Amino acid sequence: MSSVQHPEQKSEQKSPFRRWLTGVAQSTDLGMLPVIAALIVIWIVFETLNANFLTPRNLSNLAAQIVVTGTLALAEIYIILLGMIDLSIGWNSVLAASVFSLATVFFHLPVGVGIVLGIALATGLGFLQGMVVSRIGVPSFVVTLGGGMIAEGLTLAILTPHGGSVPLADNFTTAIGTLNLDPLWSWVLSLLLFGAYAAVTLNGIRKRTASGHEGGFAATMRLVGVAIMLFGAVFMLNAYRGVPFLLMIFLIALFASAFVTKSTRFGRHLYAVGGNAEAARRAGISVKGIQLAVFIIAGFLVGLAGYLDAARLGVASASVGNGDIMLNAVAAAVIGGTSLFGGRGSVYGALFGALVIASVSNGMNLLGAASSVRFIVEGLILLAAITIDTILRLRRMRSGRA
Amino acid sequence: MSAAIAAEPAAAPLLEVRGLQKRYGAVVALRDVNFTVRRGEVTALLGDNGAGKSTTIKAIAGVAPIDEGEILLEGRPVSIRHPSEATALGIQTVYQDLALCDNLGICANLYLGRELVSTPTALGPHVLRDVDMELEARRVLKTLRINLPALDTPVASLSGGQRQAVAIARAVLWDSKLVIMDEPTAALGVAQTAEVLRLVRDLAEQGYGVILITHNMQNVFQVADNIAVLRLGATVMEARKSDVTPEQVVGAITGTLAIPGTGAAGAMA
Repeated sequence: MSSVQHPEQKSEQKSPFRRWLTGVAQSTDLGMLPVIAALIVIWIVFETLNANFLTPRNLSNLAAQIVVTGTLALAEIYIILLGMIDLSIGWNSVLAASVFSLATVFFHLPVGVGIVLGIALATGLGFLQGMVVSRIGVPSFVVTLGGGMIAEGLTLAILTPHGGSVPLADNFTTAIGTLNLDPLWSWVLSLLLFGAYAAVTLNGIRKRTASGHEGGFAATMRLVGVAIMLFGAVFMLNAYRGVPFLLMIFLIALFASAFVTKSTRFGRHLYAVGGNAEAARRAGISVKGIQLAVFIIAGFLVGLAGYLDAARLGVASASVGNGDIMLNAVAAAVIGGTSLFGGRGSVYGALFGALVIASVSNGMNLLGAASSVRFIVEGLILLAAITIDTILRLRRMRSGRA
Repeated sequence: MSAAIAAEPAAAPLLEVRGLQKRYGAVVALRDVNFTVRRGEVTALLGDNGAGKSTTIKAIAGVAPIDEGEILLEGRPVSIRHPSEATALGIQTVYQDLALCDNLGICANLYLGRELVSTPTALGPHVLRDVDMELEARRVLKTLRINLPALDTPVASLSGGQRQAVAIARAVLWDSKLVIMDEPTAALGVAQTAEVLRLVRDLAEQGYGVILITHNMQNVFQVADNIAVLRLGATVMEARKSDVTPEQVVGAITGTLAIPGTGAAGAMA
């Protein structure tokens, strides 16, 4: 109200850039800026230590390495935005891959049917867990802990008779896992994509300006940033073999999620439920419906991640689940700026969080570092990310009282 | 009943509640609540803790539907069994905790649960019309003379008075006729209280019916036109502000004073 002056009003005379900078400096929600900054630091460090790090070839490897972690992190971010957690994503994804291998290798079903079966199973598991969480009200932590253990058991039941892993040989899956979109098409697609994004952004700016309001310098800055990152990435990947199909599938899921969470009513309601479920309920939003829908979406992505992992490795293997794919996904989500308290964060955190995790892992491998060191470094980065989140949260609470 | 207080205007009052009853298990929360809210007026709903104020507004807002009694909106009996039904009837409630999503911006909160969307196909997606919402929100805030920072500012970073203003603006943004406010000034400083009371008065001047729940007798006599006092789940006083003194109202709240001439206390008999 009248008693409080907002920085924006005070700085009416400043240039848009100065105002944007002030806004960023005072903001408690910096979006992707901290993780992008961290990523740049990590890349500079590894490039300094080993000149093979920022080569087209290694970056292409990196691009394929982030896909599974990124897709699982995407699933996890949906759940964390609700203020919940899903500990079943690792084993559920491996179970989906096992069902795919069972269907295609032993029952000789068409690949498409196998993919649908695997993803449908994971989606169904998401639905079941979502029902227990939303209708009965059991904490998601426990439901998904149990669900993950059941999925582990089922995976072992499927794969153990076949020696714990089933090699995949179908051409389609091999192509998905190993081939790239050729450079020309990579450019065409990325230009189309950026054109659509720019059109939407500029249209919003134009509409605001036409009615005599602030033009949206921040939106323009974001547009420039996206252009640099997108075309930079395409350029580097094209310098090797083009954009990996795996990466493209992940990016499609990511952009679709960005649209769903930021531009649709469902996404708005998802953030509302995560921020204040009671307020959302009183505003007429079906909290249970949103929770269930989110678990179903996450289940779908988990199934997709399972298939992509199997495609990348060329094998459906129980040992994958024993690794740290679930914890990596949670770590990527948190490093990507998703608040475990719910309602804050962006799906793009899946991309950048997974890039941080994969970069550290990849860089350490290049240096020949022992995995002991790798875990410690990853752990420190995770702790730094969650500490920053907590400090920002405290700052928000203080400024809320101001 | 309330008809005894003053000559009724020719048109039916905006809201009339008669003989509301509500029990939670063995606990009788409301026994006999009656009062009337007119367009363009502020009706103060008073009562000690546990008198039934909150239960009454929850009943009208559809959060906790009544067991017995009648709610008449513009003379028509209505059944309000769910918050969405209250909203559809033009009844909006500003709760004491404001029910805002701190993580969302001002505009997102204003439109929460009733976002403007465009739906390209029959099945969706329901795409948010953010710019339209922002422009419309600015217009409404202007008519209410509410000054707020940029509308994408998260509500978490607003002051108590600003948050209250967002909650009130949200209540009137959507074709509402009746705005219920639960202790809107409870947590505010002097300047912010004055600003919120100004807003309450403005709403009435613009033709809304307002139910104001408060403990602050000074606030009541500053902005209310009509006063209803609840005690132990029943209306014990309903009067025009000009017909009663603060002492009489306090007496009705605490039960230490016989209520002269209102007839409302007799409704319990």
